[in-house]
Parts: sequence; structure tokens; C-alpha cells
Amino acid sequence: MIKQTFKVPDMTCSNCAMVIESLEDELPGVKRIAASYHKGAVEIEYDERLLDESRIIEAIRQKGYTALKP
Amino acid sequence: MDQTTFGMIIAAFLTGLTTGGLSCLAVQGGLLAASLAQQIETDLVQAIPSTGKGKGRPNRSVQRAANKSALPIAAFLLAKLAAYTLLGALLGLVGSYLTLSPLSRAILMIAIGIFMAGNGLRMLNVHPVFRYFNFEPPRFITRYIRRTARSEGGRSLATPLFLGALTVLIPCGVTQAMMAAALGTGNPARGAALLFAFTLGTSPVFFLLAYLTTQLGARLERYFLRFVAVVVLVLGLISLDSGLNLAGAPFTITRLVQGILPSAAESTALNSSHPNSSSSSALQQGRLELAVQNNGYFPRTLRAPANQPLQLDLVTNNTRSCARDFVIPALDYYALLPLSGRTTVAIPPQAPGAVLRFTCSMGMYTGQIVFE
Repeated sequence: MIKQTFKVPDMTCSNCAMVIESLEDELPGVKRIAASYHKGAVEIEYDERLLDESRIIEAIRQKGYTALKP
Repeated sequence: MDQTTFGMIIAAFLTGLTTGGLSCLAVQGGLLAASLAQQIETDLVQAIPSTGKGKGRPNRSVQRAANKSALPIAAFLLAKLAAYTLLGALLGLVGSYLTLSPLSRAILMIAIGIFMAGNGLRMLNVHPVFRYFNFEPPRFITRYIRRTARSEGGRSLATPLFLGALTVLIPCGVTQAMMAAALGTGNPARGAALLFAFTLGTSPVFFLLAYLTTQLGARLERYFLRFVAVVVLVLGLISLDSGLNLAGAPFTITRLVQGILPSAAESTALNSSHPNSSSSSALQQGRLELAVQNNGYFPRTLRAPANQPLQLDLVTNNTRSCARDFVIPALDYYALLPLSGRTTVAIPPQAPGAVLRFTCSMGMYTGQIVFE
């Protein structure tokens, strides 16, 4: 398990955080996602055998947001 | 008693229909827009999976998305209606135990003003610090909603329903007045009926404006958000100003504006609007008359001799606005005036140069008595 934080600057309200957190149920390998609009960041805990950084960034992009590595 | 309650409920409905819808959309539009934006966004992402948010050209899929927006708006409004009805019952219950004093209402309005202005600045992306003005629901709630939504087939109405219910946390100015009224009923059933009627009244305008906005397409959504941001900011400042007025603060935006343009409002009010209430004749009997009208108090500045007791007659004539909720903060005087009639306030002698400010309970309409 890896825990990683991404900056997501383009969340506009706490509803966006909810949208990103929905990846928790959609992206195989994700154990936990905590998106915070206040911090403009997404913390994600995932199984590195099933998932990698670039696929997470792409999945967040599919949701309409930009994830940046810190 | 029953007739009074019925009249009050009808008045609440009409208030909602006429003023509530517009002013509440401005305050709560952000929530509605957020809820709709997600809906539209989901539709867009589904329709054009290869392009990101806001990149899709307005085409038939956008049009389809807009057509689907009626349901989330309806869900939003239904949840709002239910939440406010519940709130009304709760306020009525609380109201049976206490009364909201003008000062506590002033503090509430100042707090709401800061909250709203902060949110306006947040929506305009002025600085990330303003993000903290946005209420972030606890994760267990969001997860619960998400899971519920998923179990209902992916795209449920949970978000607009939840956000609709959340609007109780950001009542607009007119709603606050109604909430205070619900509190004032001192009865859960009457409080619930009052806020139900008011919220129902606001719904048609809300629905229409929100629907038309989504029809304009997803791209304009951003402009709408920006527009809402500016409106929220302005309303926040108004609420702040009203709170300061209600607290009897000498320096408020209203007074600043009146100071810059002093003569116009006052003299016209004295001469044209109420020729009978010339202050010199009224003063001989130690009485002053103040016309309480739908659009404020006339004349705005009354002059009275110092060191003498004064009888202030508040004259309402089919007055339906919040001007009826009359407050003199310095005297801790508060009264809900009758629709039509005359209410006399005994004002104790004041020192020369003293200025007694009065306002409506919302801090929207103000005026003063200058003692000379």
C-alpha cells in the first residue's frame, strides 16, 4: 500500500471533492481517497500492484480535474 | 387566531413568490449550480469521454444534458422545501422558549454577512484561504451519499437532494426574516407551515431561473457561477451593513451613502410624501410622526427638542414590508407594527446633539431622530 498526495487546484467547491472521492468505488486498487477542497489536495491510498501514479492522474482528469504531483 | 395564522401563511407565500425567489437564488444559487454543474458535467463526460471538463463544444449532448436538468432542480427544491419545513417546526419549538433580540439578530446578520462575503470571494477565486468559508460536509456523510447514489444506479438525485437540504445553512436575507417570523410564532406547527409556504413561494422563480440557466449550456455555467459570486459578495456586504445598522453602529455603508447624498431623500420625504407631518406643528404637542411605508421610513431624519420627553407615532398604512418590524437599538425597543394603524413609542428625554437611530429588524431601512 502506498499513500500519496496530489495537488488538485481546480476544485471549485466541496462538491468537487465528492466527485473525486467517488473514484474510491470506481478505480480498482484504491483503498481510500480523501479529497479536500479546503486544501486543494487529494490524498490517496492504493495498492501499487494494481495501480500507478499516471493512471490515478488520468482517472482524476476523466472526472474533470487536474492532479499535480507535489 | 386561525384567521391570523392563515393570513400570515398567505403573506409568507406571497413574500416568497415576489421577493424570496430572486434574493434566495442569489444566495443559494451556488449550491444549485454546483449540483447542476455536476449533473451536466457527468452528462458531458459520458457523452464525450475523451475531452475534459468544459472542453466539449455545446452540441446536442449538451442540449440533452440541459433537458435532463429539470429533475435535479425539482429534487433540489423538494429537499429544500422539506428541510425548511422541518426548520420551521424546530424554530417554532425554540421560539416557544426564547425570543431573538435585535442585538442577537444583528450579530447573526454580521456573521452571515462575513460568511457570504467570504464565499463570494471564494467563488471568485481571490485567494485559497477563502475556501474555508465553504462548508465541507464530513466524509462519512459524503461517502454515505455516494454509496446511496451508486446503489441506486449511478446517477441518482442524492446530490441535489442533499444540497437542497443544505440550503437551510445559508438562508438569504428574506428567508432570515421568515425564519425569525417562524421563531416568533412560538409554535412548531405554525412555524413549519410558515416556512413551508414561504419556500413553496420561492420555488417557481427559483426553478425557472435555474432551468433557463442550464438551458444556456455548460459553458455559460461558469459565467453564472461568477455572476452568483458577485451577487453573493454584494449580498454579504448588505447583510453585514444591515447587521451593523441593527446593532445601532454609527458607521455603516448605508449611513455613508446617506451622508454623501443627504438632502434628496430627506427633503422629498418631508414635503411630498407626508405633507401633514411637518415637524414644527407636530413638535408643539411633543409628538412626532413617522410614516412607516413599504419602502422605508419617512422622513428619514426627524428633529426633536432635547431634554424633553417625546411621543413618536409610527403610522403604518397597508405596510407589508419588513419596515413593520421596528427597532430602536439604543432603547432596546422592538415592535411588530400592525399592517395599518398607529403605534406610539414613548422616548425619554435625550441630551442635545444626541442621535437616536431606528431601523427595521432586517437593518434594511433606517432613519434617525436628531435632538437639538
